[in-house]
Amino acid sequence: MSDYDFDRVNVLLVEDSQFIRSLLVNSLKVLGVGNVYAVEHGGDAIHFLQRVKNEPMRVGVQQIDIIISNWDMHPIDGMMFLRWVRRHKDSPDRFVPFMMITSYTEPERVLQAREMGVNEMLAKPFTIKNIGEKLISIIERPRQFVHTKDYFGPDRRRQHVEPDGPDRRVLTDKSEGVEIIRG
Amino acid sequence: MAEKKPVIVRFYRFKNRLKEKTAGLAPGKVSISPEALEAAEKALQKMAEDYPDWVSGLIVKLQEQHGRCVDTPEKRRDCFEAIHHIAHDMKGQGGTFGYPLITSFADSLYGFTHIRDGISDHHVELIKAHVDAMRAIIRGRVSGDGGEIGKKLTESLNEAIEKYNKA
Repeated sequence: MSDYDFDRVNVLLVEDSQFIRSLLVNSLKVLGVGNVYAVEHGGDAIHFLQRVKNEPMRVGVQQIDIIISNWDMHPIDGMMFLRWVRRHKDSPDRFVPFMMITSYTEPERVLQAREMGVNEMLAKPFTIKNIGEKLISIIERPRQFVHTKDYFGPDRRRQHVEPDGPDRRVLTDKSEGVEIIRG
Repeated sequence: MAEKKPVIVRFYRFKNRLKEKTAGLAPGKVSISPEALEAAEKALQKMAEDYPDWVSGLIVKLQEQHGRCVDTPEKRRDCFEAIHHIAHDMKGQGGTFGYPLITSFADSLYGFTHIRDGISDHHVELIKAHVDAMRAIIRGRVSGDGGEIGKKLTESLNEAIEKYNKA
């Protein structure tokens, strides 16, 4: 069994609490993450990603591999930032894995983030083990992206569960109106 | 030729670049080494030592907002909004650093400071009760569930909540 090598991984960290920010930067570094770019809120994060898209040489990074963002921030919060990443034409990578940190763990909140295309939710208070598990989930269990008229994001079906009763899914890979893009 | 139906759904299936980047192409199970996890956990604990100082700063901010509620009742709406935010920040973190009571008190504070209308003197008093309880926790470095002291603090806070809710 070998260990992950996070040395070439670029993480964008968005967190407004200075205490938690430096804590997360430290934790990620100790886990071996090569590059952590930390910004204070969603607005800064959008600005940073625009720079990555427009002047990667100057920023010194070609591509962000994982975004870890707090939810509750001002003036641009994590949800608005996620929406931008997934839907805006200026977004450099609409498929980038997005981990949302939050102490909002009410089911409707989690659902709201899921509908916006989040990959993982990291609940506060968190441990290093939690962070590690979410990273592994992002690496080992990536989901196909789904684009419909009202959703764009990772497939919301995480597991293959045999339906209890008839399968009501209308579309299969071979149906008309289904397009599969591989890359 | 039959007309092609418009696309209803697109599935994007990409090869796992991130896996290649972190695990290479070698087969076999990959993990985060227990040593790395432990080192990171230790780093977290080291930083956690600064947590009480950081929380003290937030408690001072809460006190200031409470003072404003008393001195300028017409600004209570804004103060409650500020308090609600500070409470949110606090409630997420106490447990991480060994102070679950801070989380639980902050959670309680968060729970009633969302109101913007009908803020009464009782609500303002209740803020003070919360601030006092949190201060006692940090001053006494009451970590974990706090044993007897923790129990007492929780009880007296609950009594205050009950009293002002009834009033």
